[in-house]
Amino acid sequence: MAGVRLEHVYKKYPGSDKASVTDFNLDIQDKEFLVLVGPSGCGKSTTLRMIAGLEEISEGKLYIGDRVVNDVAPKDRDIAMVFQSYALYPHMNVYQNMAFGLKLRKFRKDEIDRRVREAARTLEIEHLLERKPKALSGGQRQRVALGRAIVREPQVFLMDEPLSNLDAKLRTQMRANISKLMKRLETTCIYVTHDQTEAMTMGDRIVVMKDGFIQQAATPDELYNHPVNLFVAGFIGAPAMNFITGQLTEEGGAVRFKATGFNVVVPAGKAQLLRDKGYIGREMIIGIRPEDLHEEPVFIEASPNSVISASIEVSENLGHEMFLYLNGLGKDNVIARVDGRSQLQEGQNIKLAVDMNKIHLFDKDTELNILEA
Amino acid sequence: MQQLMNAPVELDTMTKAQWIESGGAKLPEAGDQLQLNGRFLLVTKADNHQLQILRTQAELTQLEKELLGWLAKQGSMMKPGSASASELERQARRLGEWLQQSIDAGEWRAEIPERFELHHRLFDGMIPFLLMSEQAENREPSYGELEKVLRSYLSDDMLLIPLREREWLILGTDRLLAEVETNEGDMIERGETKEALVSLATGLHQMITEEWGGDCHVAVGEPIIPTESLAYAVATLRETVYLGRKFHVGMHVHMPWLVHLERLLSGIPEPVRSRFMDEMSGRQDLFTDPETVSTLDAFFAMDCNVSETAKRLFIHRNTLLYRLDKLKQEAGLDVRSFNDAILVRLLMLLYKVTKRK
Repeated sequence: MAGVRLEHVYKKYPGSDKASVTDFNLDIQDKEFLVLVGPSGCGKSTTLRMIAGLEEISEGKLYIGDRVVNDVAPKDRDIAMVFQSYALYPHMNVYQNMAFGLKLRKFRKDEIDRRVREAARTLEIEHLLERKPKALSGGQRQRVALGRAIVREPQVFLMDEPLSNLDAKLRTQMRANISKLMKRLETTCIYVTHDQTEAMTMGDRIVVMKDGFIQQAATPDELYNHPVNLFVAGFIGAPAMNFITGQLTEEGGAVRFKATGFNVVVPAGKAQLLRDKGYIGREMIIGIRPEDLHEEPVFIEASPNSVISASIEVSENLGHEMFLYLNGLGKDNVIARVDGRSQLQEGQNIKLAVDMNKIHLFDKDTELNILEA
Repeated sequence: MQQLMNAPVELDTMTKAQWIESGGAKLPEAGDQLQLNGRFLLVTKADNHQLQILRTQAELTQLEKELLGWLAKQGSMMKPGSASASELERQARRLGEWLQQSIDAGEWRAEIPERFELHHRLFDGMIPFLLMSEQAENREPSYGELEKVLRSYLSDDMLLIPLREREWLILGTDRLLAEVETNEGDMIERGETKEALVSLATGLHQMITEEWGGDCHVAVGEPIIPTESLAYAVATLRETVYLGRKFHVGMHVHMPWLVHLERLLSGIPEPVRSRFMDEMSGRQDLFTDPETVSTLDAFFAMDCNVSETAKRLFIHRNTLLYRLDKLKQEAGLDVRSFNDAILVRLLMLLYKVTKRK
């Protein structure tokens, strides 16, 4: 087993002025499950492909364990890959598919057999070993593709959106299966996805990327609660964080955030930080997670300085929770996540209390989270 | 052999059961022989259930029979082609050079001359694959290494022919098509051939990328008799990879039957293309939105069938209809109508090319 280290790694394609990946620095620990996440074109797959050896590294160093592998061929890097398009070998049965890589590496027959059967048992596909890929369902094929990677017992697993060809139900199921499997195998895994739910549920650590740059590398909890900038704050979380542009003012010793429909008092600790950094009187962006808007009377009574009013344009009841799309707050819709048993109706005017201890404040120009900087 | 024996010689097959019934050994292998109804039968190859038989009416002495048996045994132990690796490479390179010359001279229909050593291996139905390596490594991969890997993947009777730098023609037996089927012995339907070819090519791409080294492009054609149409097949596959890389960036497996429109568009003079794009000015902005592009790609892939597209995208039918209506409102093009669908398809293809300029 081994960790992976990227030192000042760049990827620049010939003929392009801009680097696809810029100054990528990351130390991935042995046995860590790291997720690269970001919108399409952010450089996450390119980074994975550089680690795999499928793309040349334009600048910088890549280590697998203690070895620099920039010039090592993919097959000699001791990695196993699972791609989005998990093509199986169609003329071979499941057993042969899983054994192929080992056969090529001249493993002994009994060792091949042991590894294939063990992986098949782990993935619960023992009964499929004699079947050809054509006779398998999507989920079964995906498990065979995983099996093909597992039997190699590599130092590092690389997975590029391996679940995106599956339907929603199967995806959720396989997500849990892969997480469990990786914990059991205790192998370093680098996993690429554009799906933030996948990232949050699977990763020990998540790297959020945009335009070829690392925006933030942190644990799921850290990313969710302490995003370093507007992009990370908006990317992680569904429904996304609400952003409202407004002004900070100081009245009677209290720092207030004012915008259309908003006039709330910033808690003392945060207010002092804003004063110290010279933000009073300036325009800035407040970020509020949907679950930090509360319609329960007890909250409203307890937080008289952070109560706002709005009308419900649309409500979506998912049973256990309800999303309210609110009008009259800032320029865009604001979404609140409330209890599914709330008897709220579309068109109704309601009062909500903002949990001001959980707000985020972003510099309008740099888009950095002022409270985290 | 007919000349040597001065009698007709036939090649035939029979099952092991038939061989045993005729008085042959219970575990037949190459070199075994028997006399049946005045004919001499010799096993030249023994597979699981099937035997390849050489049959002749010639009257042979015991010594001649033993000699033939020994030859058959030796022959069965040799790899197809019976040449050493370096000799095979030399023969393959010679053929590759001839193919290149024929294509350069525009002689796409040229038949392979008999003077080539590999000529005798090119009479059976074979599937042509074209492999273009984009390996990050600078060194040219060795013929021997690649041939070994491909033999493991396809079968021992495959042929690897080097063409240009980092470009190879791979010929696999068309029996592979039957092996894709779920059950042994199932006959492949005509309509399923292309599906099977795609899966073989996709598997080949995956195998090369994972097991041999680095990124590559693979094109696959329908089975051919190589002696008759190999130059044509290579030229077509080469063009297919070119069009695939130009119009479908990110795709690595290409099929000639899927790039007809691309071939036509590629042949249109640049000014005509520009004029079309100018006339559609503003509409191509739609294709910067990944959701619109993936929706339209799926819609066209599913033959403009709304229900099937929604299923493929894992979205509700109404969500798809909403997206298509949005496109109609913004671009004035309704992809559910035949003429607009053509325009959008053309726009999407041309946008992919012009965008990169």
